[in-house]
Amino acid sequence: MAIFLQLLFTGLGIGAIYALVALGFVLLIRAASVVNFAQGQFAMVGAYMLVVCFNVLGLPYLLSMAISIVLMAVFGVVFAGATYWPLRHRGGLPVIISTIGASIFLENIVLFLYGPSPEVLPGLFDSPGIQVGEVFMDSQYLSILVAATALVVLQYFIFEKTLLGKKLQATSQDKEMASLLGIPVAAMILFTFSYSAMLGGIAGMLVAPVLFVSVGMGGLIALKAFAANIIGGYGSIPGAILGGLALGVAETLGAAYISVPYKDAFAFAMLLMFLMVRPQGLFGEKISEKA
Amino acid sequence: MSLLEIENLTARYSSGAGDVLKGINVSVEEGEIVALLGANGAGKSTTLRSISGLVPHVGGSIKLGGVPLFGQSVEAIVRLGVAHVPEGRRVFPGLTVAENIMLGASNRKGLSRAEMMREVDEKFELFPDLVRLRDALGWTLSGGQLQMVAVARGLMAKPRVLLLDEPSLGLAPLIVQQVFKIVAEIRRRGTTVLLVEQNANVALSVADRGYVLETGRVLVSGKPADLWKDPQVRAAYLGGHAIA
Amino acid sequence: MSVNLASARLWRGFPQAILACVAVVAVAFMLPSDGYYLNILMQAVTYAIAVSGLVVVLGYCGQISIAQAAFFGLGAYGVAIGMVDYHLGFFPAWLCGIGAAGLLGLILGLGSLRLGGHYLAMVTISFQQILTLFLTNWLEFTHGPDGIRDIPRPRLGPISFEGGHAFLALCLVTLVIVTLAVWRLKTGRLGRAMQAVRDNELAAGTCGIDVFATKVIAFGLSAVLGGIGGGLFAGGFQYISPDQFSFGESIVLLTMALLGGVQSPFGSLVGTMVLIILPEWLRFLKEVYLAVYGAAVILIMVFLPDGLWGLMLDRVRKRAKPIEGAVEKLPLLTLTGTAKTDFVLTIEGLAKHFGGLKALDGISLAVRRGSVHALIGPNGSGKSTFINVITGLYKPTAGSVSFAGRDITHASPHERNRAGLARTFQNIRVFRGMTVLENVMVGAERPGNDVAENPALVVERALAALDFVGLRGDAHRDVGALSYGHQRYVEIARALAASPQTLLLDEPAAGLNLTEKHELGELLKRLKGHGLTILIIDHDMKLVEQVADHITVLNFGKRIADGMPKDVLNHPDVIAAYLGEPQEEAGAAS
Repeated sequence: MAIFLQLLFTGLGIGAIYALVALGFVLLIRAASVVNFAQGQFAMVGAYMLVVCFNVLGLPYLLSMAISIVLMAVFGVVFAGATYWPLRHRGGLPVIISTIGASIFLENIVLFLYGPSPEVLPGLFDSPGIQVGEVFMDSQYLSILVAATALVVLQYFIFEKTLLGKKLQATSQDKEMASLLGIPVAAMILFTFSYSAMLGGIAGMLVAPVLFVSVGMGGLIALKAFAANIIGGYGSIPGAILGGLALGVAETLGAAYISVPYKDAFAFAMLLMFLMVRPQGLFGEKISEKA
Repeated sequence: MSLLEIENLTARYSSGAGDVLKGINVSVEEGEIVALLGANGAGKSTTLRSISGLVPHVGGSIKLGGVPLFGQSVEAIVRLGVAHVPEGRRVFPGLTVAENIMLGASNRKGLSRAEMMREVDEKFELFPDLVRLRDALGWTLSGGQLQMVAVARGLMAKPRVLLLDEPSLGLAPLIVQQVFKIVAEIRRRGTTVLLVEQNANVALSVADRGYVLETGRVLVSGKPADLWKDPQVRAAYLGGHAIA
Repeated sequence: MSVNLASARLWRGFPQAILACVAVVAVAFMLPSDGYYLNILMQAVTYAIAVSGLVVVLGYCGQISIAQAAFFGLGAYGVAIGMVDYHLGFFPAWLCGIGAAGLLGLILGLGSLRLGGHYLAMVTISFQQILTLFLTNWLEFTHGPDGIRDIPRPRLGPISFEGGHAFLALCLVTLVIVTLAVWRLKTGRLGRAMQAVRDNELAAGTCGIDVFATKVIAFGLSAVLGGIGGGLFAGGFQYISPDQFSFGESIVLLTMALLGGVQSPFGSLVGTMVLIILPEWLRFLKEVYLAVYGAAVILIMVFLPDGLWGLMLDRVRKRAKPIEGAVEKLPLLTLTGTAKTDFVLTIEGLAKHFGGLKALDGISLAVRRGSVHALIGPNGSGKSTFINVITGLYKPTAGSVSFAGRDITHASPHERNRAGLARTFQNIRVFRGMTVLENVMVGAERPGNDVAENPALVVERALAALDFVGLRGDAHRDVGALSYGHQRYVEIARALAASPQTLLLDEPAAGLNLTEKHELGELLKRLKGHGLTILIIDHDMKLVEQVADHITVLNFGKRIADGMPKDVLNHPDVIAAYLGEPQEEAGAAS
């Protein structure tokens, strides 16, 4: 039982990371109908920014995180300009392919700049963790859970309680009508890209001390985050969060009780199963084409 | 000078389907309700969409208070004082009635939160049926309720001219009456309205003047009393057989 | 005199292909013996074969697949495991690999049932990842991350392919054959069906194409082509490992397809050659070469949507020639006169609810054989919903539809088309990537049509239909180059070529100018003269008055009038529906 709780804790921690990346994903889907295959690279780039600030430049940890977060916000806008903006009228497929290209580009540019060997980042706290009953709670995992919860709360606050949030929601529900009210649609979309990049970057910075920082870390996280989106319900914000947590737990339990090398396959197997059987996921609406 | 002056407006479909509008001339004076009538496909909605900038017009000119609207973005035109309540209402389904109405003021600068909420309350006075629906989400509303929300939202922009596109569409006759009572009240309070309607009778019952469009051109225009007697109006909708 | 196209078509491309085979074999043997050129070409050729698979599934059929490297890998591992572990000959092992790839490709295609776009991309990526995991971890079968070495090359009787030149020649000949096949596919019936699905899936279904089956076949074919390339790759390099068939490689293959131009197998040749040979010249980019790939994908999407080959092709296309030859008259009368029942289309109590909205609220009507029946009503009355339910695009909430004596209430769109129901769309749905003639051929070759199995007759029938609508001279042009009104006639010709018992026209006059409307009226009168049953929805009353024998009026999803035009158009309910209830004196508003 103790082992199960321990695994549950770890699974939730990893799941929280997937949830954060998935959240960034779903925001872009809702705001701009963009499926961003480079979402995982946002996490990777964020982690590397932290490496540069902390390991290379020697700045204090929290300051490094703050600077990296700001840089990610800027990065999000640049990314939107390069991959989404020129193709915004051309429909889904070109944009998907463009973001795939961006993901390959980012991975390999970072590879060129920093090489293939993984970097090591220390966690936020020096103490390794606290013992609660039979479960040892690793301090970084705790940080992840706390930070993820805070971000979700922040997001809820922004979207539900502020005027900006309402405008963002309006833009994602009916772009043309939003523009007819004078809402600056382009700015809303760029903001969403920026925010989504920050979310991804933060996820990367939080998970970096746990897995090493390497160029490949983004790809797998993104695929799992996308799987989380689909499992939770495509286009649903609570779905992204719950899907991420569910995936993290399922994967961790699966690795421990069934098989380690095929751990990653669980995510894909779950995804395929949902896509075939219940494509709308746990919370999403039915997908259908209008005549 | 008219508030809204449309001269020789031509426009084409984005799909390349030839010219939808073949030279429309319409003018709207301040404080008037002007109705654009005609059968489906005559070009009424396209005229409104050309004014608000959703359709790039090909030729002619549209001037609001003497300022040409040609070439400006939708957001710029909205800021100049055009509020477009589109066909189908398009109330945001995931936001509440109050939130929808609030967003109508998005084009206005320097509006404090308190002022905005006061104006939202004023709208609820104008549409008392919406008071109990204040926190209801858009997708739960009926057609008539949606129309009221859409109009309230349009009014929040304090527009110089309100473009109303087919407000009676899909609504039961009794609800249509209610909606048009409100349209009359809006004009009474000083808003200028350019109204597009398929239902000629009810539109002419509130309008000061009307234009009848047919396949992209103005067929006939004038005061409601004259239009109502004109056999061309009926023919425009129902063809030759209707003259009986 | 019949049009002499099809017989010339059967062997089209074969002479050039044979010449090409001879040429490439010669080239293969003339290359210097040092491994460098041989290896580069071997990689380019095997990749090009795999990329041509993407031409089929993405270029022709419009379905995104990011798993092509997985199928390439299946072919390679088929050869490797088959030869090294099971001591099979090259060709049997190759076939095993191709078979495995094909089977998994069909299964992957099943994933396209309800999904498209990004969902499908995810399914293919997941499949790719799972395969890579198996290749890396299933040590007993796949030898794991170390890969398989010392893969022998084939012997075919007395011919040995052990030498580099000989094997390269084998690869090149295979490439020529594959290119010919993929090229011919485009202009064949299956190719047209795929392109129709790509250009307009909804319309393809109503033209009799089984959309789902077409997609599955496209996936299967692309997987087979991937497997073919992979098998040759294994034999060529004689050592394979899992990381050569990863997600990154799928992206590389996709980039090659996009760069060259995904519409044509020649494009895949160009793209592959450029992207394999170019890095050799830009060696200093070796470390960032994948980064350049990534950036290249974005730039291609933005600036070169048709790829390099597409650029070259633009010049060629403008020189397309008109098609010569006289045609038979369109045999409408003989085909439509066979219906047994008096009423060819009967609708009882049809209802369609969208959540709380009752778009159709219990409509009954009957269309008499040989008549022109018009359906009119104000905006929002349910007319388009009605036609969409009848043609199978929406499922009805209640009620029944029977056509020529058969209950088709739950039939799929393509089944309805095959029963004899053809339609046009309000917002025109032609297949933009094809010529006018090809568009109409799709209609003519619908399964069940009398000429469907004979390519020559299909062309003739298509030309006859075009002749009937007055567009015979435009048959060779891209459909997108025609005016809107003429595109509408192409849609009508496409419907007529399918020998329908009943033709459904959804607002055919929408967007037409006065001249075109007049032509349309004349066309409809001609159709009427042949005894074809027509159901037409339109707002243009002048047109409706001219051609309709019978009018049904809808309002708020209900039928409010039904009968002869003269009576219906003067009916007070109808007038009220359009013009509104009589009001108090105008001007008494405030």
